[in-house]
Amino acid sequence: MSVLRLLILLFLPTILVATTRIDSYTIKFQALKEGGGQAIATVALVGCTPGNLVLPLGFQSPEELRLEESPAGVKLEVGPRNGMTSLHLLFPAGMPTQATLRFSFTVKEVFQVLQLAPGEKSLMPKGSRLFRHAFVNTQEAPIGIYRLEFLFPEGLMAQAIREQQPKPKKSEVLPRVILSKSAGVQTAVLQFSDLRQGDDTSMTLELVPHRRSLGWLLAGLLLGGLYLFKFRDLIAKKDPDPTR
Amino acid sequence: MAAEAESATKTPSLQELLDMEKMTLSSKTREAQSPTERWMRYLGFPGGILLFLIILFLPAGAGLSASAQSGAACFALALVWWVTEPFPTYVTSLVLMFLLLVTRTSNAKAIMDVLGMEVIWLNLLAFILSSMLVKTRLAKRMALWLVVRFGHKATWALLAFLVLQLVLAPLIPATAARCVMTLPLMIVVATIYGSTEATPNAFGKNLMLLNLACISVLSSVTMTGSSANLIAVGLIQNMGGHRVYYMDWMRVGAPVAILTMVLMWILGQKLLFRMKPEEQVPQVEGGLDLVRRQYEAMGPLGFQEKKAIAIFGLVLFLWMTDIFHMRWFGVEISAPFAALLGAVIVLFPRWGILSWAEADIPWHLLIFSAGAYAGGLALDDTGAAEWGVRMLFGGMNLKGVPFGITYTVVISVMMYSHLLTTSKTVRTLIMIPIIITLAKALGWNPLSLALPAALCIDWVVGLPISGKPNVVLFSTNQFTVSDNFKYGMMTCTIGVLILVLSGATWFHWLGITPSFWAVAP
Repeated sequence: MSVLRLLILLFLPTILVATTRIDSYTIKFQALKEGGGQAIATVALVGCTPGNLVLPLGFQSPEELRLEESPAGVKLEVGPRNGMTSLHLLFPAGMPTQATLRFSFTVKEVFQVLQLAPGEKSLMPKGSRLFRHAFVNTQEAPIGIYRLEFLFPEGLMAQAIREQQPKPKKSEVLPRVILSKSAGVQTAVLQFSDLRQGDDTSMTLELVPHRRSLGWLLAGLLLGGLYLFKFRDLIAKKDPDPTR
Repeated sequence: MAAEAESATKTPSLQELLDMEKMTLSSKTREAQSPTERWMRYLGFPGGILLFLIILFLPAGAGLSASAQSGAACFALALVWWVTEPFPTYVTSLVLMFLLLVTRTSNAKAIMDVLGMEVIWLNLLAFILSSMLVKTRLAKRMALWLVVRFGHKATWALLAFLVLQLVLAPLIPATAARCVMTLPLMIVVATIYGSTEATPNAFGKNLMLLNLACISVLSSVTMTGSSANLIAVGLIQNMGGHRVYYMDWMRVGAPVAILTMVLMWILGQKLLFRMKPEEQVPQVEGGLDLVRRQYEAMGPLGFQEKKAIAIFGLVLFLWMTDIFHMRWFGVEISAPFAALLGAVIVLFPRWGILSWAEADIPWHLLIFSAGAYAGGLALDDTGAAEWGVRMLFGGMNLKGVPFGITYTVVISVMMYSHLLTTSKTVRTLIMIPIIITLAKALGWNPLSLALPAALCIDWVVGLPISGKPNVVLFSTNQFTVSDNFKYGMMTCTIGVLILVLSGATWFHWLGITPSFWAVAP
């Protein structure tokens, strides 16, 4: 066997899998107040061929990874690639060319914990949390649509979208991150189309408790009442001109 | 005796009226005149607080962040206070800036940075140039000439200003610059017709508000009338796939804008602010003859006046030739920097015209503007403005509806949406892409909705905070916020009507819009 044949045999699976394209990659992530969360990801593949596919994952240290729906024989494992958390998918022989994979996983801590040095001022009020998600397409095939739906934990809402990258192109009408509501829970959806290798997208959300301080109500009513009392002369009837 | 004294105070001499160096753009709050105004002031304060609390404590909107919700609450409070005036408008601006911080809508840097915005600088520098026109008596000379030439009747004096603004609009794209260069003329002419800061009358309201509307609306005559127009043209080309040429814009924009302003020139006097017979002629002892004699007595142009013309001419030249700067100088001298150069010459020791102390810079006005811009930017940055527009269009089912209805809705939303934002550019960037997408989704040619909508971009006439010229003219104290609102709403409504009529006829004949009865497949 010539060296050339050997090389072809060795790289054939890679070449074949390289033709597998990711039509859409969506993750629905339910965050929990305690800090963790549970995700369900759906990946729509076209042009599937037997072999390996390395799927980048925008979450660090996923646990309880489970394949929920896939063609028979597909295997899924977690493993790093280029320093990023990635999922390694192994497609068996006889893999259908079009397939939808669904898998779930949990994450122990999704909120950023800001460590303040002694004497350092806090830039966020007590009770605020930051959620940051970044996704990089580290694999060769382009991803048609990447979409992360972040479901807010109960009792928390978005104070602000602190980061949303990349900026929408001129042809895009919608902002990169859209706040919405799903089944009574506030959600933030990060969406980016046509990710080529190396493209990345990210968002940072600041979450705050749902309830507004009653101090606003008290201060507002007090000020309003005081004004009505102290400035009542504004509408008092003017005395008739004594010279007339 | 008392009657004579009263008469003497009511009819000041022409010399007193034209002693413009004693006039300043006052920070005094205008006295509430009618019982309605007094009630508005009394109830405006708690009303603003109530609206603030209602918006703040509403259940979180599906697509709104907490900062967007609090930003909307702060802006609503400020809007109520600006309109009802329980405080001077600049105090409301300061309150708004503080509220934006404590509600965590914006951070301190974003709020404070507003005072360094281009528009604030342009206002400041333009006021220095304006002071120069006043000090050298050039403003007085020009105003007297205007009154002698056109001022036999107030109505013709108003028309002269309409024509003046129409001529200036294509030459100077910066609306604030146009406003400030004509402001001294407006003040003198208003004074000659008896309208002063202390005793504003219907002529003064008509004059200031006609100029306010003309400066903004006539910017839509050409696509180079404002940078927001050019952004809209770019979006129509990139997203809608249609290139809009200079003449394409002008043949649809010019008739609408000019016709609207001519109608407002008539309706302002006949309907909104009717002038008493004595307000329709110069209110100075000796009448127009005295004005003519005063003009003649000024003699030929003095050296200082010629110097002022040269400095102003230089600034004007730089404003008008900005598209060539890069080619000529290798750098673009933007409108504020052109004014800055003028200010440097004006204030230059020995060779200049003014000392710093002689420049009448209304800081209260700049603070008012800063607060208004901070509020407007907060609405944009937090996504509240965009969310509002999206909800408005999303809430309407326009599928299968005749084109005329969709067109009318789009034009109306575009026209009146200026009340909720203080930046034409941001409004353009939010609205035009949505309108193009809406047109595509409904099956219409994007140009048919986007180009007529783009014609509304410059019509920022509803409130004193809606545009830079409005802020400047409001400082003259010749009209109230509610006067501005009435005049602005009438201008916009006439604009909508003319645009709808044009959409059904003129634009249709030009091939821009389909038939109003057409239903998309």
